Amino acid sequence: MKEFTLDCMGEACPLPLMKTEKQMEKMEVGDVVIVQIDHSCAMKNVPEWARNQGYNVEIDEVDDGEWEVIIEKTK
Amino acid sequence: MEKKTEKYDVVIIGGGAAGLTAGIYCGRARLNTLLIEKSLVGGLATYTNEIENYPGFPDGSTGLGLMELFQKQAKKFGVKFKGTDVQGVKLEGDVKVVETFRTNYEAKVVIVASGGKPRLTGAKGEAQYLYDKGISFCATCDAAANSGKTVMVIGSGDAAIEEGMFLTKFADKVIVSVMHDEGIMDCNEIAKGQALANPKMEFIWNTMPDEFVGTEEHLNGVVLKNTRTGALQTVPVDSCFLFIGYVPNTEIFRDILDMNRPGYLLTNEKMETNIPGVFACGDVREKFLKQVATAVGDGAIAGYAAEKYLAESEIFEDQIMGSELPGIVFLWNAVMPECRCLLPVVEAFEEKYKGQIKVTRVDIYKSKGLADRLNISEVPAVVFIKDKCIQNVLTGEISLEKIEALIK
Repeated sequence: MKEFTLDCMGEACPLPLMKTEKQMEKMEVGDVVIVQIDHSCAMKNVPEWARNQGYNVEIDEVDDGEWEVIIEKTK
Repeated sequence: MEKKTEKYDVVIIGGGAAGLTAGIYCGRARLNTLLIEKSLVGGLATYTNEIENYPGFPDGSTGLGLMELFQKQAKKFGVKFKGTDVQGVKLEGDVKVVETFRTNYEAKVVIVASGGKPRLTGAKGEAQYLYDKGISFCATCDAAANSGKTVMVIGSGDAAIEEGMFLTKFADKVIVSVMHDEGIMDCNEIAKGQALANPKMEFIWNTMPDEFVGTEEHLNGVVLKNTRTGALQTVPVDSCFLFIGYVPNTEIFRDILDMNRPGYLLTNEKMETNIPGVFACGDVREKFLKQVATAVGDGAIAGYAAEKYLAESEIFEDQIMGSELPGIVFLWNAVMPECRCLLPVVEAFEEKYKGQIKVTRVDIYKSKGLADRLNISEVPAVVFIKDKCIQNVLTGEISLEKIEALIK
């Protein structure tokens, strides 16, 4: 079970989602990626997309307007 | 992975305007409150660029900005936030369980404020191009990425037309597919006039999407079907925005909470659902108008009702049903003289049976909750309770002798 961090600070849609998708492809089942986001738009499509894929998703608000989206590849 | 369990007084599902307002009321009532939101706190309002009709902001506000203020206020009152989605609920009984993938949250009250999500067209190829592959639901989010491009908007309601006009600030051309006859739109007249006069906007009447087409990577066109003739036309576009209404987020409550056919939850004016201790507020409810302003009203009622429910539960379980002694409950209404004049009678009874019968007074003026739990619809009334069960009820003429007869 590996853990990866994806720095998407300062990036607007749809970049964070595209990067997340690419990262997920490289990962194995059980691996976790932490996507760091500070654009609110990405907070809508990144978790939504990941859940639609059937992955587990949790969000931490690390600071005002800064989030970590934690995605576990489940299949 | 073993699931953790955490306990709260109140768990609110959904962090839009309704859920945040319920949170503000619960937090301010010093209830231990958790709000669970699956994506961005603020809900649907954050998809709107301008909110001009929420009172108190004469210069307007962005949806995101307004919701950030709501959240700040909820945090001030100690509401905790958790960013995850709810996978299941167990709502029957006194302790309710809200399940997420890592934690089960136990609460005495659950407030459902899960709102709605954008409706899909159901056209062929739709699933393949959702989100970053060309089909979007959020002009505010994705407008900048469409600078200099051609985009399509599906729908003619307020959201479709207003967001479509917002998109013209970025895109070269905004093509709107409208299912109605030429000139007929679902939006307000002001928006309609502005949209028809906007040189960057083009309308294709009597059409609905039939198929979304493109490469493996991205959408590059929408096949529209004429609703009258059935004729198909392919319109090349770089992306497509769907604004054809919403469906409620109520899948996890199916067969648990009462809902209407499209899935909106049914409540009374106190936001109570069919299960005691479970409230619903905001867009997820069946109601006439879905706006931030009405969501706030719903949330306030749900938060207040939750507080009342918890206070009444405590009195009911501890004082009324939890007593070792047999007891009587005197239900009265402070504004009714015929109730007030009985207070000395109840006092005399209490004095006479001190140490033998416990006396509880319940004023129903502010809330009928305890009366409902005791099945009392008329006051004044006296209920005799022994062995944690209702034994006898007295209504109508009440006197010391009659109360004494009741407990015999």
